[in-house]
Formats: sequence, structure tokens, C-alpha cells
Amino acid sequence: MSQFAQVTIYGLLQGGLLALVAVGFSLVWGVMNVVNLAHGAFVITGAYVAWEINRAVGLDPFLAMIPTAVVLFALGYVIQRGLVNLVVNAPIFITLLLTFGLNLLLVNGMILRYKANYQSIPTSYATQSLVLPGDVRVPYGRLIAAVIAVALTLALAWAVRRTRLGLSILATGMDRGAARLMGIRAAHVYAVTFGLAAAMAGMAGAAVGTVSTFSPADAGRFTLFSFVAAVLGGLGNMYGALYGGLLLGLVEAWGGNLLPNTLVNAVAFAVVVIVLAVRPQGLAGRAFYASRVEV
Amino acid sequence: MRLKLAVIVALALTVAGCGSKGEQTTNNTPTGTLTIGASLSSTGSLAREGILTKEGYDVCVNVVNGKGGVQVGNQKMKLEIKYQDDTSKSDLAGQLMDQFNDGGLKLILGPYGSGATAAAAASVERNGQVMVDSSGADDAIFTKGYKRTFAVLSPATLYATSMVEAINELATPKPTSIAFISADDGFSKTATTAAVARAQALGFTVIPPEYVPNGTTDVSSALTKIKPANPDVIIGSAHLAEGVAIVKQSTELGVKPKGFAETVAPPTPDFVQALSKSAEGVLGSTQWTIKTKGTDKWFGSASDYAKTFAGQFNGREVEYHGAEATAACLALVLAVEKAGSTDPTKVRDTLAGLNEQSFFGPIKFNDKGQNLTKTMGVIQIQNGKPVSVWPKDAAEAPMKWPGNAA
Repeated sequence: MSQFAQVTIYGLLQGGLLALVAVGFSLVWGVMNVVNLAHGAFVITGAYVAWEINRAVGLDPFLAMIPTAVVLFALGYVIQRGLVNLVVNAPIFITLLLTFGLNLLLVNGMILRYKANYQSIPTSYATQSLVLPGDVRVPYGRLIAAVIAVALTLALAWAVRRTRLGLSILATGMDRGAARLMGIRAAHVYAVTFGLAAAMAGMAGAAVGTVSTFSPADAGRFTLFSFVAAVLGGLGNMYGALYGGLLLGLVEAWGGNLLPNTLVNAVAFAVVVIVLAVRPQGLAGRAFYASRVEV
Repeated sequence: MRLKLAVIVALALTVAGCGSKGEQTTNNTPTGTLTIGASLSSTGSLAREGILTKEGYDVCVNVVNGKGGVQVGNQKMKLEIKYQDDTSKSDLAGQLMDQFNDGGLKLILGPYGSGATAAAAASVERNGQVMVDSSGADDAIFTKGYKRTFAVLSPATLYATSMVEAINELATPKPTSIAFISADDGFSKTATTAAVARAQALGFTVIPPEYVPNGTTDVSSALTKIKPANPDVIIGSAHLAEGVAIVKQSTELGVKPKGFAETVAPPTPDFVQALSKSAEGVLGSTQWTIKTKGTDKWFGSASDYAKTFAGQFNGREVEYHGAEATAACLALVLAVEKAGSTDPTKVRDTLAGLNEQSFFGPIKFNDKGQNLTKTMGVIQIQNGKPVSVWPKDAAEAPMKWPGNAA
């Protein structure tokens, strides 16, 4: 029983981290209809920024999330304004190609700079654990990461519904033409959305770097996680990525515990197939966004 | 006057044209440059190890050319390696062999990893090329009857087995139970199967191996399953990402063996960097240490080689990925010199009969192309550095046990 509790808790914590990785991806896809294949590269960039800050001034990686978010927001804003915006009206294949190329550029740039080394941001507490009855362990690093993930998602959901900027993001996502007629600067709103997504990815990167290892080669894995979590959770709802991430974490943990560990990926994707068959718009998504993907 | 000038210009252009045409017939024909093809992972999940391998090849090129080049018959040839990126994909490594072959490159140095080496070996055999393998250790590569692939390194079966032997011989109080966590790639599984058999033969209680996806950074499910058995030792047959995760997540989940041992990860600098203090005491298997016995005319002894490497890479310490790559290049250079030719079949025949001492230990191949004359070593991370602890006669320091400081 304590083994089941351990697996469940670990799966939920891992899911929280995945949710933080995926929430920006889901936001950009939902609002801009852009499947950002460079999202994983943003996560790794964030990890390196936090690692550099930690090395230079010894700032705790969870505190380093704030400057990391600022750097990644600026990067995301500039990339959207200068690059992605050029093809934002084009069919989804063109944006896929562009972000794929961007991913290659970022990943190979990081390999040039950091030589593909595996890195980790050292802390004295991240691998220490809170011990619950039955020797069930709750690692502090993962706990903090998961709490931050949930808090950020809730904050984002609140901001989108309650602030002027959030509402303009929502409006632009629903109907760009109408939003423009209402005086919303769509290019700016898109760039802010992309910047926010990059900032969230960067913060996720800082958390990943603390609880685990990272290298430029991991970018693809994080893009894939984000994709699965976004599809599972559904688009058009800020909570989608959170539900998707948590479900993915749980399924991987339970699957790995009940079946041979090597089947975790197969189990995770089987769940994606089942969810899509039963509820094509995802767990929390809206059919409008799911049907909007134009080819 | 104008006509004269035009004739001179035309003549000059003709001569230049002839010259450039002559230079195009390079590759392995004796024109002064001995070009070898190597497909390596510069990008993708194995980029780190790929780059370490490339460094070893580059040291070889530098040293050989620094000493005047390769003597082929009556001619000195400059050594050059043409690299291609296989993006860490095995099938691409196989295709690159064909591309090298189309370009006339018949002499090949191996890619990083058993998967890529297996794919490359099949192409090399078909194309009539010859390859010296620097890091493909999986025994399965050498059961297919290939005649043109030679591995300088010890086979996969010895990787985890050597650590079982070291623990059996040196750990006091002697542990009684061992758990294995293995990546699911061919190399890691071969290493695990052999070590499980050896551990059982030596009387250890072996907890059934847990296999995890190759390259994963989450081994929590394997650790949760192992935890109730409370093993004395956890042996990880895995690469860097999984290797770091085993130690890190064991701390998170309260799995506390008396020691960790891992096949590939501990000797690489990243292991200590990523784990800092938790890396202390972890055992690792290594193809080579600076205590390895043997010398050769190009690189001298193992410690001479370490100095050469440090000289080329800003004082950085070499670890075994670099050394095995240099050794593969050395074997090829020795074979070309001995054959007095760059003809792939002659070089292959010479490699098959090669029996040389080197900074990497003895280089001698059996009829399958494996180098069984050299032994594996075991290192332990002590004060943040890998030091050789087994075999005893090549040890830099005694093994510390229990090895797990946490």
C-alpha cells in the first residue's frame, strides 16, 4: 500500500512539473494556432539561464526562476515579433517548419556553447525528502516545482479572465479579425502570448535543472511531453495543460509500477489514444479550438 | 604582345587546371594524405559521448602528424579524418558508411555506441571497407560473422561483471545482495545478463533486474520496486542520463544501498558535475586508466597519453572515451604501416594478425574481431575524481566501502 502511495505521490509531483513544461505550449497553440516545436528548446534555454545565474552569483534555482522568466519573455517576444509573426497567417505546416528550424538553431547553438554536457543545478535540499508514514517520501525539489506549477497555472488562468491584457489574448485567440476591429493590437498580443509561453517554459527549465539533469539533446523530449499534455488536457482552457500533465505523470508512474518499466511510454500514448477516441477535444478543452487546426 | 599574354594566361590556366585535377584523386591513394572516415554523434542524445570520442580521434591525428605522419611503404602520409554527424541515429551511421564508400573512403573509425556501430559494421562489410571500432562494445555485433570490424575495447560482458568482481574481492564487510537497473539497449542488457550470471555464481543474492527506457531521466518506478528488497548494492547498467537519475532519485526515494556501481557514467566528468557530493563513492567500470600498463611509439605510456591529451585540451583530464578512440585510431595507423598499403583488404588482414602493446593495453583481436586480451578496470569517485581501485595491481587508491556516503 505504501508503495502505491509512493508511486502516486511521485507521479503527481512529476505531473506537476510536466504541467509547468506544457502550459506555455498549450497557450500558444490555443491562442495563435501555432504548434511551437521549439518549446522544448525554450525549456532547456531556461535551464541554462538559471544554471548560469546560479554559477555566477549562487542564486537558488527556484529564485533564479524570476530573472530566467524575464530573459525568456524577452526572447519569446522578439522571436514572435520578428519571426513567427511573418508566417502567423500561413497554414500550420509553414509554422511547423519555422518552429522546427528554430528548434534546430537553438539546440545546436546550445551544443556549440555548452558542448552537449549533462548539467544539473546543485542545491542542498532538492533531493532531500519529507518522510510520511510508511516511509513514503516527498522530495522537496519536486514538491516546490509542482506547487509553483499549479500556482502559475492558476495565476495564468486568473490573468486571462480578469485582466485587460488577458482578455485581449483570449479575444485574439477567438477571432483575430474581430479583436482588431475592437482596437486590439494583434501583433503585440501575439508577441506577449509567445513571450509568456517562453517565460513559463524557462521557469520549467529551471525546475527541471534542479531536480534532474538536462542537456541540449533533451529539447525534443520536452516538446513531446508538452504536445502530449496539451492534447490530453485540451486546448482553449488554461487548466488543460495542468490536467494533461498531472494525468501523464500519474499514468507513467502507475504504468511503470504495474507493468515493466520499459513500457511507460507505450502506456502514456495508449492513454492519449483512448482520451482522443472518447473525448477528441481533450479533458478540459473546447471543441472550437480542437476543430480549428487548419492544414 | 597581347597574343603572347593570352597564350601565357591560357598556359597558366591549363597548368592550374591539371594541378587541381591531380589533387582531386586524394583519399587513400598515396598522394600524401591518408583520409579516414568517421561518423560521430555531434548532435542528438549521444552528442556528449560523440564529442568525447572525437576528441580522442583528434589527439591521434595531432600526434601522428606531429611525428611526421604515417609511413606507408616508402611514403609518409599526413593523417586526416573526415567527420560526418550521424545525429545519434544508428541507421544514419550505416548510411554514412555508404556515403564514405561512394567518396572512396575505405578505412573507417567507429561511431559512438553499440547501436550505431552495429549499423555501421553491416555497411562496412557489404562495401568492403574496414572499420576499427572504438566504443561499440555489445557482443552481439561480433556474433554476425563480420570479417571487417575490429574493436579495441573490452566487450560489453565485462562492463558490469568487472564491478561485481571488484566488490566481491575488495568490499568489506562483504555485501550479500545486489539489485540491477539496466537500460533497455542491447549493450546495457548484454552487460547486465553477464553480470547477473557472475554475481549468482559468486553467491550473491540477485534481485531480478529492472529494465528502464534507454536515455530516460526518470527511474523512480524501478527504484520503488527495488526498495522493499533493501539491496546492499545497486548496479546500474546505463548511460549518463539514467546513471545520474539512479543516484539522484535513490536519495529522493530513500533507497539506501551501501554502494552504487554504474557501467559507463562515473568516469565521465559530467557525472561528478551533475551529482556533486552524491557522486562520492560510486564505482564505475572503465576501459582505461592512467595506470593501464603498456607503451607504444606514438603515445608512450598511459600517463604520457594523459599529458598529451591535457596539452591539447587546456589541461583537461582525459577519461576512457577519449583513450579508446585514440586507441582505435592507433590500431588503424599501426595496421596501415605494417601492411605498407592503404588497400582495405591488406589493412584488414594486418589488423586480424595485429599483436601490439599500447598505452591502452594490449591490442590483439580474436577471430570475431574482439580484443579479449585487455581487461576492464574499476574506478571509484573519491574526492570528486575517478580513481582506479581494481584490479589491485593497477590501483591508485584502496576501495572505500561502504561507498554510499548519503
